[in-house]
Amino acid sequence: MFLEARGIGKSFGGEDVLRGVDLSVAQQTTLSILGRSGCGKTTLLKIVAGLIAPDAGQVLLRGIDITNLPPQRRHILYLYQEPLLFPHLDAFDNVAFGLRLRDRPEPEVREATETMLAELDLSEQRHKMPHQLSGGQRQRVAFGRALAINPALLLLDEPFSSLDSETRGSMQQLFKRIAARHAITSIFVTHNLKESILMGDAIAHMRDGALHTYATKEAFVQDPGSGVAEEMEFWDGLRFQ
Amino acid sequence: MTTSAVRSYRSSAGTLGFALFLAIAVVPIAASLLYALLYTLGLTGLLSNGFTLTTWSRVVTSRETWAAFGISAYVSAVVCALSTFGGLGVALFLRSAGVPPAIAARPRAATVLGRIVRARGRKGHSVEIVPPGEDARRLQAGRLHSRAIAFLYLPLALPMTVGAFAGYQILSPIGLFARIAARIHLIGGAQEFPAFTNDVLHLGVIAVHVLLALPFFALLFLQLCESERVDAYAALSRSLGATDRQTLLRVTLPILLHRTRVNVLLLFVIVLGSYEIPLLLGRQYPMMVSVLTVTKYQRFDLLQKPEAFAIAILYTIVSGAAIVIALRQRQEETA
Amino acid sequence: MKRLASAIIAVVCALPFALVIMLSLAHGWRFPAILPHPFTAELWRSIVTGRVDLGAVFARSAALSATVALLSTAASFITAKFIAYHRRRPLLLTLAYAPYVMSPVILGVCILYLYIRAGIDGTFAGVVLAQTIFAFSFGIVFFTAFWNREKLELEQLVYTMGGTTRQLYSRVLLPLSRDALILCFFQTFLISWFQYGITLLIGEGKVQTLPLKVFDYIGEANPGYAALSSCLLVIPPVVMLWINKRLLPRIL
Repeated sequence: MFLEARGIGKSFGGEDVLRGVDLSVAQQTTLSILGRSGCGKTTLLKIVAGLIAPDAGQVLLRGIDITNLPPQRRHILYLYQEPLLFPHLDAFDNVAFGLRLRDRPEPEVREATETMLAELDLSEQRHKMPHQLSGGQRQRVAFGRALAINPALLLLDEPFSSLDSETRGSMQQLFKRIAARHAITSIFVTHNLKESILMGDAIAHMRDGALHTYATKEAFVQDPGSGVAEEMEFWDGLRFQ
Repeated sequence: MTTSAVRSYRSSAGTLGFALFLAIAVVPIAASLLYALLYTLGLTGLLSNGFTLTTWSRVVTSRETWAAFGISAYVSAVVCALSTFGGLGVALFLRSAGVPPAIAARPRAATVLGRIVRARGRKGHSVEIVPPGEDARRLQAGRLHSRAIAFLYLPLALPMTVGAFAGYQILSPIGLFARIAARIHLIGGAQEFPAFTNDVLHLGVIAVHVLLALPFFALLFLQLCESERVDAYAALSRSLGATDRQTLLRVTLPILLHRTRVNVLLLFVIVLGSYEIPLLLGRQYPMMVSVLTVTKYQRFDLLQKPEAFAIAILYTIVSGAAIVIALRQRQEETA
Repeated sequence: MKRLASAIIAVVCALPFALVIMLSLAHGWRFPAILPHPFTAELWRSIVTGRVDLGAVFARSAALSATVALLSTAASFITAKFIAYHRRRPLLLTLAYAPYVMSPVILGVCILYLYIRAGIDGTFAGVVLAQTIFAFSFGIVFFTAFWNREKLELEQLVYTMGGTTRQLYSRVLLPLSRDALILCFFQTFLISWFQYGITLLIGEGKVQTLPLKVFDYIGEANPGYAALSSCLLVIPPVVMLWINKRLLPRIL
């Protein structure tokens, strides 16, 4: 497995947030993690990213134990709910930021950034500051910035939750297209049932600090605890009214 | 399992911040207060003879001490009340004298029959019909209102030292007010002018502090009227049937006063420990706390020095408690 | 009525400034004359001719305040970050607030002993250090609002992008904090510039600054030079307020 987390435990103020969580992500796939707000999804992602230290457990990337590695050296990028663009940089400089951190030659940075902006349909917005961009545009800039440095693993923490449903739909399609094209390995966290099925190649469900991973999407759909059956019953009920 | 590398990836800056905090603020003040305490207990200092509570007994039973705290608390309370309510009055007055932005933007748009103005504000668009000639009057009022606000910033640039000096030159028996009174024959000479400086009621001290603090509160209230959406709540109150007076007393004032109670408490602490203004405009007895502390410390009589330290510690306890209360209220507000 | 009230507000606010300017241009102010007579620029000329050392005192005050502002701004920028993200933030913030709000002169009476033991009483360095304590605590209160959740998340983002601490500060945090750093510098400059009591105590009268000169001239019953010193004292804050109305001598 590309990424493995074994027996991850974490408590805050005496309360167990994560209890013996295991997860694995195959290379070039997306694992969706579905869970309610406050169930520990963000804490798990931050432990994988190295931003929080676990109380127990291990994190392995390509079979190597990275539990003690600081976040700068993990090549794992954590993306927040809000796009979190650098407010003092325009869209172009935001996307180019990671490449410049690596002291790449400026012509190479420009070319890679222009390509990424074009791919994300942001060429016209390259000189706009973050406050001048729409929610969807800001999210695309955040993606471009992340993809430009080709991270080993991308962690997306409810990236579309602040968008309206139409923009959300187009962003979901965009991400799937880009993930396939760039062969991205990622963990996609959401509290939206439909989104978790749509975005993931594999699905896991976080409940009460524990993670239940499903072998297939069908297994997830058929599990009464997943909430899919209730959802389908609701829409079926509407149809016959 | 500990993951020290993960925990410590940000800790180098944190360590430096902690070290600076200790070195610059905590240690010097804590060490000096400890030294002062030991001095008052006779455990250190030139005249120390071993543990004794004599100093504390003298200070706590001294009329001078309690007169100093009493007069300081009185001055602080009056300054807080006048600055708060005076500032509120000035702010509400200036708001009522303001001009809608659409008129300010188009001064020559008046017609014979009047003009329809679409004013764009936070509530969206509102429409009013402006009779002819009204524009010019409102513009003039608006300009005056803007100038008054600009003048309110001036006292913020006034240090206490200059405030004290100017206060003396205005309020003393040979000051500006006494001269005007003499010129219009209200008084015959300087000796007939009422005492506003070095007086029992510390009126001059209060007046200068109010001059420095009231404009700040006026500007603060003006800002809060916008940020707390006072107009929106007032409109809501009126729509529920409240009169203007009821709206002012039950909605506007409570919102504004609630938001500034922490500022008022902190002003109380600042005035309590004020030095320059009471030094120049206060009396020899009773002195305000800071003047008494420094005077005792600097006297030739070395027995007064531990008393100075004791008063400093009492002041620290009183003002420290007030700061804790104030900040706890602020934290509850922002939590 | 409203025009009269607005005019009164303007007059009251401007009166202290008008008065000290007027007295600095006077040769004396005999009672009961409302305006002094004659008006003369002689006192102001005496700064240039060197008859009084106010020029040197102005420069010394400026150097002292600039040093205090630089030290306290830099130190509080770092310390505030430590406090803002600390789990005991309320307690640490209360400790930091105290020196800012409490009387410098009362605390100065206690601190003086440390400075005497260290041999820096009566020195420029001693006064700088003493004033820095109070300006530093203001800076902490000021910057704690700057170090918010967004800054923390930006920092974490840069680290997960592989950035070093140096890159984080040079490419993100310092550019973002430029305006705040400048504002804090000006405000701590003014805190030091206005200081009287602690400068007198720790400096023991040997470190002459403009506030000390005002009181010296008052003590000598010399209102003309006291007014002149006062004018010099209010020039920087008035200029700073003119440039940016956001600058306040004290933020409560």
